[in-house]
Amino acid sequence: MYDTNPKPQEGAWLWLIKIVAGLLIVVIMGIHFWVNHLVAPGGLLSYADVLAYYQNPAIIVMEILFLIFVVSHAFLGVRSIILDVNPTKVVLRWVNRGLLFLGTAAILYGIWLALFISAKGAGA
Amino acid sequence: MKNESNSANLIRWFDPRHRQLGTWAFILNRITALGLTLYLILHLFALGNLARGPEAYDGFIKLAKTPVILIGELLVIAAGLIHGLNGIRIALNSFGIGTRYQKQIFIGLMIVVAACLIIFAKSMLFGH
Repeated sequence: MYDTNPKPQEGAWLWLIKIVAGLLIVVIMGIHFWVNHLVAPGGLLSYADVLAYYQNPAIIVMEILFLIFVVSHAFLGVRSIILDVNPTKVVLRWVNRGLLFLGTAAILYGIWLALFISAKGAGA
Repeated sequence: MKNESNSANLIRWFDPRHRQLGTWAFILNRITALGLTLYLILHLFALGNLARGPEAYDGFIKLAKTPVILIGELLVIAAGLIHGLNGIRIALNSFGIGTRYQKQIFIGLMIVVAACLIIFAKSMLFGH
């Protein structure tokens, strides 16, 4: 089977974050998936259901943590795949900047959306 | 592979010859990773409908229940199960757990994926 250890340019810490985030995703995704797709009649929550769901502060924390774990794991994973094609240092530097920018933007957008929905539900 | 040119490495990914089970596990892990990352981005954009109000979001949910999107969702579930379960095996192997039986574990996990997919497909496509 293939080598599961960190690559030279990946670094032990980034590799460990990717692995730990991956394991945490499996746990939280179970809850996220169960609530969003299996509890709701017909398979998906309606707008009113989503607003009600986000009134619980524990849910907001869980969904934001889930987002952070997923985005971190996904973008570190994409970087790891790019490392497989042995990029030059210059290319890797731009890849790092791009992924960091996109990852941060995705997390900030997701946090804003979660807080927006929560506030909208509180005012409804 | 590490010292070869970038294009040669990339072309090798798409060459199905002389592959062993470990390589297929590796390819599956990579393909599902890229698919799930694309889905993550689309999912975040789609959830943006929540900020546009009930008509926009509930309209999107109606679209999400059409057969084509349901099949797409089933593919996402397949990718999630394959990547998640294979990922647990990789994580355990990384810490030296189960390395001796990793091929058997991989085959066992893929059987679990197939069983779960049958259940999900039955529920999603024929359940409602």
